[in-house]
Amino acid sequence: MNLTRRHFFQQCGYGVGKIALASLLTGAASARGQTPNPLAPRRPHFTPKARAVIHLFMAGAPSQLELFDYKPRLAQLEGRPLPPEVIGGQRYAFIRHDAAVLGPRFRFARHGQCGAELSEMLPHLSSVVDDLCIIKSVRTDQFNHGPAQIFLNTGFAQPGRPSFGSWVVYGLGAETENLPAFVVMSTGSGISGGAANWASGFLPTIYAGVRLRNSGEPILNVASPQGIDPTLERATLDLVTRLNRQRLDALGDPEIATRINAYEMAFRLQTSAPELMDLRGETQATLDLYGCNPEQPTFARACLVARRLVERGVRFVNIYHEGWDAHTDVAGNVRGNCRTTDQASAALVKDLKRRGLLDSTLVIWGGEFGRTPMVESNPALGRSLGRDHHPQAFTIWLAGGGVKPGLTYGATDELGFHVVENPMHIHDLQATFLHLLGLDHERLTYHYAGRDFRLTDVFGNVVRDILS
Amino acid sequence: MIRNFGFCTVICGSILWGVSVAHADDKVNFTREVRPILSRFCFKCHGPDESTRKAKLRFDVREKAVEKVIVPGQPDDSELVARVFAEKLSKRMPPASTKMELSEKQKQILKRWIAEGAEYQPHWAFVPPKQAPLPACKQKNWPRNPIDYFVLARLEANGLKPSPLADPYTLLRRVSLDLVGLPPTLEEVDAVLAEVGRIDNPSYETKFQAAYEKFVDRLLASKQYGERWARRWLDLARYADTNGYEKDRQRIIWPYRDWVIQALNADMPFDQFTIEQIAGDMLPKPTPDQIVATGFHRNTMINEEGGIDPLEFRYYAVVDRVNTTGTVWLGLTLGCAQCHTHKYDPVPQREYHQLMAFLNNADEPDYEIPDADIARRRADFEKRIADLETTLADKFPGGVEALNKSLAEWDERASAKAVAWRVLRPAATKTNMSFLQTLDDGSVLASGDQTKSDTYELTFQETLQRVTALRLEVLPDESLPARGPGRAYYEGPKGDFFLSELSVTVGGKKIPFSGGSHSHANGGFGAGKVGAQYCFDGQAGTGWSTTDQPGKPHAAVFQFTAPVDLDEGMTLQMIFERHYSCGLGRFRISATTAASKAEATGHGAILEFILAKPASDRTAEEKQKLLRRFLEVTPALAEPRTEIEKLRASLPAYQTTMVMKERPKDNPRPTHIHHRGEFLAPRDQVQTGVLSTLQPFPKAAPRDRLGLAQWLVSPDNPLTARVTVNRQWQAFFGRGLVRTTEDFGLQGEFPTHPELLDWLALEFVNEGWSLKKLHRLIVMSATYQQAARATPEHLEKDAENKLLARGPRVRLEAEMIRDSLLRASGLLSAKLGGPSVFPPQPPSVTTEGVYGAIQWKPSAGEDRYRRGLYTFLKRSIPYAMFATFDGVTGEVCQARREVSNTPLQALTMLNDVVAMEAAQALGKKTAEASGSVEERMRLLFRRALTRPPTESELTALVDFHRRQRERLQSGALNAKQIAGGDDANLVERAAWTLVARAMFNLDEMIVK
Repeated sequence: MNLTRRHFFQQCGYGVGKIALASLLTGAASARGQTPNPLAPRRPHFTPKARAVIHLFMAGAPSQLELFDYKPRLAQLEGRPLPPEVIGGQRYAFIRHDAAVLGPRFRFARHGQCGAELSEMLPHLSSVVDDLCIIKSVRTDQFNHGPAQIFLNTGFAQPGRPSFGSWVVYGLGAETENLPAFVVMSTGSGISGGAANWASGFLPTIYAGVRLRNSGEPILNVASPQGIDPTLERATLDLVTRLNRQRLDALGDPEIATRINAYEMAFRLQTSAPELMDLRGETQATLDLYGCNPEQPTFARACLVARRLVERGVRFVNIYHEGWDAHTDVAGNVRGNCRTTDQASAALVKDLKRRGLLDSTLVIWGGEFGRTPMVESNPALGRSLGRDHHPQAFTIWLAGGGVKPGLTYGATDELGFHVVENPMHIHDLQATFLHLLGLDHERLTYHYAGRDFRLTDVFGNVVRDILS
Repeated sequence: MIRNFGFCTVICGSILWGVSVAHADDKVNFTREVRPILSRFCFKCHGPDESTRKAKLRFDVREKAVEKVIVPGQPDDSELVARVFAEKLSKRMPPASTKMELSEKQKQILKRWIAEGAEYQPHWAFVPPKQAPLPACKQKNWPRNPIDYFVLARLEANGLKPSPLADPYTLLRRVSLDLVGLPPTLEEVDAVLAEVGRIDNPSYETKFQAAYEKFVDRLLASKQYGERWARRWLDLARYADTNGYEKDRQRIIWPYRDWVIQALNADMPFDQFTIEQIAGDMLPKPTPDQIVATGFHRNTMINEEGGIDPLEFRYYAVVDRVNTTGTVWLGLTLGCAQCHTHKYDPVPQREYHQLMAFLNNADEPDYEIPDADIARRRADFEKRIADLETTLADKFPGGVEALNKSLAEWDERASAKAVAWRVLRPAATKTNMSFLQTLDDGSVLASGDQTKSDTYELTFQETLQRVTALRLEVLPDESLPARGPGRAYYEGPKGDFFLSELSVTVGGKKIPFSGGSHSHANGGFGAGKVGAQYCFDGQAGTGWSTTDQPGKPHAAVFQFTAPVDLDEGMTLQMIFERHYSCGLGRFRISATTAASKAEATGHGAILEFILAKPASDRTAEEKQKLLRRFLEVTPALAEPRTEIEKLRASLPAYQTTMVMKERPKDNPRPTHIHHRGEFLAPRDQVQTGVLSTLQPFPKAAPRDRLGLAQWLVSPDNPLTARVTVNRQWQAFFGRGLVRTTEDFGLQGEFPTHPELLDWLALEFVNEGWSLKKLHRLIVMSATYQQAARATPEHLEKDAENKLLARGPRVRLEAEMIRDSLLRASGLLSAKLGGPSVFPPQPPSVTTEGVYGAIQWKPSAGEDRYRRGLYTFLKRSIPYAMFATFDGVTGEVCQARREVSNTPLQALTMLNDVVAMEAAQALGKKTAEASGSVEERMRLLFRRALTRPPTESELTALVDFHRRQRERLQSGALNAKQIAGGDDANLVERAAWTLVARAMFNLDEMIVK
């Protein structure tokens, strides 16, 4: 007969229980026909380039026209409406079709060996530009924040499907038992797409993103209630484990063994979560590189924590920085957000690189759509010199994880309105990201409600041009 | 009989029934073995969907398959066989590009099936259930009711034996959790055991069954039954207390939730339960309850993000209604056919949209629930107001004389300003979208769909000379959101309107205005300049509105630059434009030819009419009206009027809830096929229609939503009863007889006990669609009452317990976990129904990084400890504890919840504030009880887990208690922090709190 969990406990005793539990966590248990551990490391479909992802989600949608996609022609046309044939039937959230063109608000210059063109608002990013792959031809189907964010994360515009991070953990399993495999941070204002952005949809909840919080405990309920000290917590856990083991002996339900294991992991989380957030071990030089004040829950601190998460084996990190929704004063919006994010985003790339982690970590930076070449001006709403939502073309950048560095990919027309070269639909991005992780987006499926669901629905092509 | 079950001897380890191997002497079974392969590997390109069909081949219909690639009885001549076995990759099917590969076993099954004649059978779920005779069994004394015969026959065929009867504690706990969602109280258990006597008594089992049956009947009759089963239904109904998407604002639809509880407690027959929820509003003379029931399909989300296209998200909501109807009643994944003809099931895209046509013809109002008590209280208020009004005149400072003088002055001033208005009835109306209807009083009422830029064009044919001004009255109406006068229903304030531009053309010539005035102007958040004079400035961002006065009439007057002759009639155009829909709901146009400058007075049309008359022409009644108006407005009575205003402001409001209301016959909403399911790609218009693969539409039924409901529960529907009983089975056993509760189609799993499923479905209908009877039948079966112990034999032969050789052991649902903690600790409130509540959770959950952030103010008093189904469900950020335990978000219809087992759950049970409060309460209770430590420990143990502890459990717990008590006494642990609450008895309370906390973390605590 196969070795059961019960045998493990009977034969190993509690002293080595942890070892037994650890081995139960690996694929060994499922190979023996037991309840498989849903987080056991799983073999990818082919050799991966990346083993971890850090997605810097610039929620609210940054203006590509102020940051990456320089369009001098817009300055010449400023104040005049676009020809209707350019706009087609596009619906807008706030502006009208006859809105006038707004020229770029900042100067651009070429940087690095690759000579990529970046805005003066990105001085730090300019210094790592040779490590970046800048994609100027991203397109989405959605023009409202909530649906567009959810679409980028889940491949579907309404809530209810598994997010990118959930799919990755489902496909590859976890590399650490001490921290959640999929971690979500938020350093900006409220996130339009809400928890649907990191939900597991119809996948089991264990694949959902776990929020790392800025106030209170880093992970909800990770701290013991007042008055419970570690000795007491250990004694309580020992008692619980002992009684649960007796129950396991009596009933033989493998789920009890899984629960015992979950409590051990919970206990470890109670140590590893504070350890993760304790930045005293970081040098001042590193803190300065990010511009991070360990006491402030800023984007910079989140980036540093993201690196620490990846170092500790966490598979997928999301940092939401919502606040790019520049319906008014796009220049001020970009200036403010760059002040908060430029240095730390660049620092993350540098830091991962010098630690040898960049090759195996895919860094993604970008929003859910772009912004219009036309100005948004609405005295009623107190708006002027803003830009509305633009799904037809926007820019994101990638670094590490097997992406070709120093590449600028795709192009838009002289108005920055439409993609004219190498279009990259959201589904193509998703397919390519999964490919970098060693997963075939057409084979990473989950059978639910009569269908094999995928992150890319029935679409998506791996864009090999950007692979290194 | 047994032979039919032969296939299940090899269940072990296989995921699909279809891939199991039959005995060599059996024929391959098409339904169980062949079709799953064809469906999964072939139908996508060679199935029902014509548009993606490759090589004009289809295998879902035998006549077509045998035309080309299958030669029955001749596998070697069959192209299908040649292709699936092809060595050459380029020849092989399915092609490599599908990333799917047939196993050797699957290929052999196809080959054998063709060799055996390639017979097809209809899909089991589309054939009406058949009454099978009860199978013969060897262990004749085991079955207690028909369920057991079906189960036992399968067990015996597989060489398995049923497990013994569960011990009474386990069973009472199980059945109580199953039927009412709560563990039994100690007293309940003791009462049953007292009736039964000792377990070694020879008549124990008979006695126990009798006592158990009585206990079951008590549970079925208790109010908590409805709460437990409502929660499961609400998962399907995607019930939530917020609108979803970005803003995720609060909505009021909890009366629908309470309707569900009451209907289940009353054991409303499931067919009626269905009809009232789908189309209660369309029943003859519907009761308020029947209207409230239609909240079922109002649980769809509403996107209030700035600048969305409201019609797009309305379309998604209707799509959700079709898909949910498919899942809940038909167990079909209709959603696939939104974009294209279903790849696996016989659901053409056209039929999907025909179903949509049934559900797409409703308006979606808020409904004020009639309530005799509130009506009485309102009448009382109104009487007090009327009484106060009659005394107003007496309170006039200076008495009658002063009053008369002041009145005369007011009359003179008001009359001087008043002009005679003539109401203009539109001869024709035109809009971009809304439906306009002219009422008897000449006012116009709008209904139907809306956009962010709505245009109303009214043509008047009255001939009138020298018109100097037009008056636009905006009027309240019961049919409008917040009673109007506008139609805003999302994003902006309900009942808001925003008149951006108003223009008049006569004889094709635009008539200029010289000025405008209004009785009131307010534009709320984000409006530009607001006032009647901004309605003809050519700017869409400015205009007129009365945002802060919903439900109140107002008027604006527009003066022409020069008098206009309306010889050829007149066209009036109004444009309503904001970043949300904001058309006018009810309004009336009048004209005046007065030479004096007409202005908006705010007196209302009737008073203006009276004021414009010479005083001598006024009737007594009219004079009375003028007096009343004077008393309403004169500054001299401001003070005495405050009480009246206060009463008006606190007039008791009727409870509202969201309901469906079928559109009027003269304004049906057309439904189109949407190419690839896309909102922006409507194609042919379709009429209502049902799935042709199922039973025909009932002849007598109306072709509308009500008819659809009748079709769903018509006796010849092969799916509804099966799908419903299967979901009930799943609730008790943790998995359905069909595991895929949401999918009975070709891709769904085959039932583990098909005859039992059919038997239950027929029994359910025969017994009047009674859920209570069905639940009773299940819990009275020997199958249900088995012990749950999993032996090595069980784990080896049937790890998933598909054959039911042991009782169910299932983790509790999220809400039940919380409810169990509260019941064990005695904190649980028994209050039924009402608005949703806010149990404590860390504030950061609903504020940090949340767009539609809310301050989660924990409820006080007993509302802090209500059952989980009353917890406020915010879609974008559900209650943290429930989310951790696989609770639902209410964003989509969910036919089964996943069951996960995670470290975050452990952290919740250890550290969540609710768990700690419950531990403190139980600690206090135990500390206050009398008896030895052991006796009190037994008591605490039984409060948490129902059963008494074993000796070794007791030893371990007593030891833990002693050690913690020592540390508390020595001051090593802070007793006050641990025990919480007042200062009495701190060490004892703290020590027992720690024991209770440990107990709550046992696996058994959250398992039934």
